[in-house]
Amino acid sequence: MEKQSAFNIHPMDQFIIDPILTGDSLEWYSFTNQALWMLISLVSISFVFIYGSRKHQLVPGRLQSIAELLYFFIRDMIIDIAGQEGLRYFPYIFTLFILILFGNVLGLLPYSFTYTSHIAVTGFLALSVFIAVTIIGFVKNGLGFLSLFWISSAPLALRPILLIIEVISYFVRPVSHSIRLAGNMMAGHAVIKVFAGFAGALGLGAIAPIFAITAVYGLEMLVVVIQAYVFTILTCVYLNDALHPGH
Amino acid sequence: MASNSDSNAVGMPQLDFSTFPNQIFWLVVFCVVLFAIVKFFIIPRMEDIFANRRKIIDGNIAKAEEIRLRVSEIEKQIEEELQKAKSQCDEIMNTSGNNIKEQMALALEDSKIATTQLINEAEGRLKELRDGSEAAIERISEELASEIISKISRGK
Repeated sequence: MEKQSAFNIHPMDQFIIDPILTGDSLEWYSFTNQALWMLISLVSISFVFIYGSRKHQLVPGRLQSIAELLYFFIRDMIIDIAGQEGLRYFPYIFTLFILILFGNVLGLLPYSFTYTSHIAVTGFLALSVFIAVTIIGFVKNGLGFLSLFWISSAPLALRPILLIIEVISYFVRPVSHSIRLAGNMMAGHAVIKVFAGFAGALGLGAIAPIFAITAVYGLEMLVVVIQAYVFTILTCVYLNDALHPGH
Repeated sequence: MASNSDSNAVGMPQLDFSTFPNQIFWLVVFCVVLFAIVKFFIIPRMEDIFANRRKIIDGNIAKAEEIRLRVSEIEKQIEEELQKAKSQCDEIMNTSGNNIKEQMALALEDSKIATTQLINEAEGRLKELRDGSEAAIERISEELASEIISKISRGK
């Protein structure tokens, strides 16, 4: 990148979807940098979960420990939040979790692409969760699922008001669910890029922005895992609402 | 909004809706493949590892329980043996105490008899001696008396 002015910072460039095989034209099927990083994520997941535990060790090694830790973390979380019935949906929730976790973590590598920073991706995931949970709710409970919005523990006079609030909050779920994740990913990466731009412009004085980048990077490592966890735990909570709408 | 493929982003690339079909297409492909991997490789493997571990742990717990039972049995046996040994010991102590008492009594008896015998002997000797001395005195006094008589008779 040529230096035109002191502050030639493009923090959002890292999020551009770039067709890397078909030149400049972006068709719906073009292989993009985003698709590449989804592929890399797929390979990483296979590496950790399939290669890492290929020996079925009784006492796990390093990679198998990671795999087991993640696996049973999510498994226990579902049981804690949604009960034993929730375990039926474990494959879906676990897929969701490692998809987001690996997307987030790989996104921290320099020059990588964070597919979870795109609202299209998180929106699609959140909407899938929303639709699936709504369908599960109606299939499992019939119209009883609507009792989710009719808070029977509240005073009768308040219930119509709560009904409106509950319905609105129910339909806002996919929005908050997706924007929370994408927003966090985007903000962290953009902040790092902004500081990196400062570092490029300041020359010897770059020590301060570099220190800041280090600090933000450390924070991001935390955020990246926490956001994957938050997305998954909220999915579990929504699933629990669908399975047991009475309370 | 559509042509953002150059290096400079205008606003947020996230809101470039022209990229959405592409993103969602690849996301769906990714999700399906990942789900297949999770369902057919990861879950069976993890459950297998977990079941194996459970089996071994349960086996070990059962073994430990068995050993514990055996230990308590052995402890009971030890207790019994100890009890037996104690009673035997008491018995031996009692009998040996009685024996000693009997022997002591016998020895005492023996010594009493021996002492009385010795006393008797000593008394006999004393009596003998005394008798002997009386006879001697008598004889001497008789001799003296006869001498005196002879002297008197001669002096006349």
